[in-house]
Amino acid sequence: MRFAPPNPLRIADRASGLNAPTVRSYNERLVLSLLLQSSGISRLEIGEKTGLSAQTVSVIVRSLEQEALVSKGEAQRGRVGPPTIPLSLNPEGAFSVGVSFGNDAADVALIDFVGKVRYHAAHPYSTLQDSPVAIAAKIEEGLLALPPASRTRVAGIGLAVPDDANTSGQIRKLLGRDLAEVQANIERKLGLSVYIQNEITAAAGGESLFGVARSLSDFLFFYLGSRLHSRLVLNYQIHSGRSDLSHDVGLLALLQGLDKHGLALSDIGSAKLPDAAGEFYQRWQDACCRQILDSAHALLSFVNFKSVVLSSYAPAVLAHDLCERLHRELPDIAFLLGPNSTAPKAVGAASLPYHSRFMVQ
Amino acid sequence: MRSVLCFGDSNTHGQIPGRGPLERYDRNTRWPGVLQSELGPSWYVIEEGLSGRTTVHDDPIEGAHKNGRTYLRPCAQSHTVLDLVIIMLGTNDLKIRFNKPASEVAMGIGCLIYDLRELAPGPDGRVPEIMIVAPPPILDDVKEWKSIFAGAPEKSRQLALEFEIMADSLGVHFFNAGSVCSCDAADGFHLNAESHRALGAALAQEIEAIGWPTQERKS
Repeated sequence: MRFAPPNPLRIADRASGLNAPTVRSYNERLVLSLLLQSSGISRLEIGEKTGLSAQTVSVIVRSLEQEALVSKGEAQRGRVGPPTIPLSLNPEGAFSVGVSFGNDAADVALIDFVGKVRYHAAHPYSTLQDSPVAIAAKIEEGLLALPPASRTRVAGIGLAVPDDANTSGQIRKLLGRDLAEVQANIERKLGLSVYIQNEITAAAGGESLFGVARSLSDFLFFYLGSRLHSRLVLNYQIHSGRSDLSHDVGLLALLQGLDKHGLALSDIGSAKLPDAAGEFYQRWQDACCRQILDSAHALLSFVNFKSVVLSSYAPAVLAHDLCERLHRELPDIAFLLGPNSTAPKAVGAASLPYHSRFMVQ
Repeated sequence: MRSVLCFGDSNTHGQIPGRGPLERYDRNTRWPGVLQSELGPSWYVIEEGLSGRTTVHDDPIEGAHKNGRTYLRPCAQSHTVLDLVIIMLGTNDLKIRFNKPASEVAMGIGCLIYDLRELAPGPDGRVPEIMIVAPPPILDDVKEWKSIFAGAPEKSRQLALEFEIMADSLGVHFFNAGSVCSCDAADGFHLNAESHRALGAALAQEIEAIGWPTQERKS
């Protein structure tokens, strides 16, 4: 028998909307992760998948509803069995900003709680002063895209940086040598937590959280950017091996070749291409496919995976052709194309605060 | 068939606002009746409303039998097997004669939950699902009940939060009736027919949201 007053467990934090990462219980994270993987599931299904009791699920869902992180749908009637009320993450429940650093420009993306890009801007390095202050200002611009009431719901900022960020030219000029200092600077300036990760790992994480891979526990991930990079995801864990390893069969090689023929990436799929550079494009495709297939074949002798995810900002027709071709060569494997075609690395970066604050690892 | 016990006071009994304790809405108008028609024939809704019922107090004026705690055990046992117990009490605890703050009314509810867990009148001797319903706040004007309910309207507005804290800490379902209905102006603390309808419909939704695996069981 309890004669002492109960602890106000969750109620006390409700005023803040988004509470500190340490406060959120493992079970709450479990429920949020589950809702991210399969939106529109019922409390009964959450109970079945997590092993939590109906009453525990009820307490957690009520708390998440009050924080506006989860919203309730209309009761589904007319099927076999009792009516069910579907639950989903509330897209307006949280927001996050991600920044990635490309060859010529830094991408800033603002995403909502279900990973939808609400704002995106590419800032050429030439327009940025050489200091982290410039990046903070651009992040702030992105935050202004939110209505004032939503600005308190920003979970944090993610930076996707290449491995050579503090050695190579323009990115180093922009960020300086010390990433920890960049992190502290931006945190101080904007009052938000900043998370930093390798850019390819971040892109794989974004794909795993929001993209085509969100229900896959195991897959091989390729990022087709200027160069071709890969990661292996096993049991939701991202493995990077030699993370600096990449292959020169990416879009930069393609772009340089097209340039010689007076063409650009956007000409792929148009009538201009076959005459001018059809053969070159074909050769590039061969090389790119061969590299992906080699990696896949090599791994298949160690690990049994069923899916390969390709993420790229390349024109949709290019990436789509590539996937189709790969599937013809390796029919047992599903080749899936990531949907975040605008800025996959920035979106991946933006997913970092969610991983830390709301998800089970 | 699943069964739900609706354990409450005059607002579960269906007492008509502004009338005497013997004047009661008919079964289809009272919220447990509305609940029955919303949930359909797969549920058996047991009404257990008593005017003046408190959570854990013998009423020195209305009688010891108004104590919800002494009656809950035999009542729950009579109606086993219970899949769900809904408790909507608290209004009568706010009478000045008991002199209790809202937080302590919530502790009274907590006692009832402990008793139910100990008794475990659910399927296979398990603890049933339990739902606490916070009654809607009492209106400021309670007519001739003014002296009996002195200070009660203010305290009644704190009940929902205190009940929810209790529900969270004990891990049971919670619903705030004040979010869908309000007390009638005729006496300031009873529900009218419209409020009964709204409450019954909302609770049916809450019950469905709990999620019940399909299974056959003789009751």
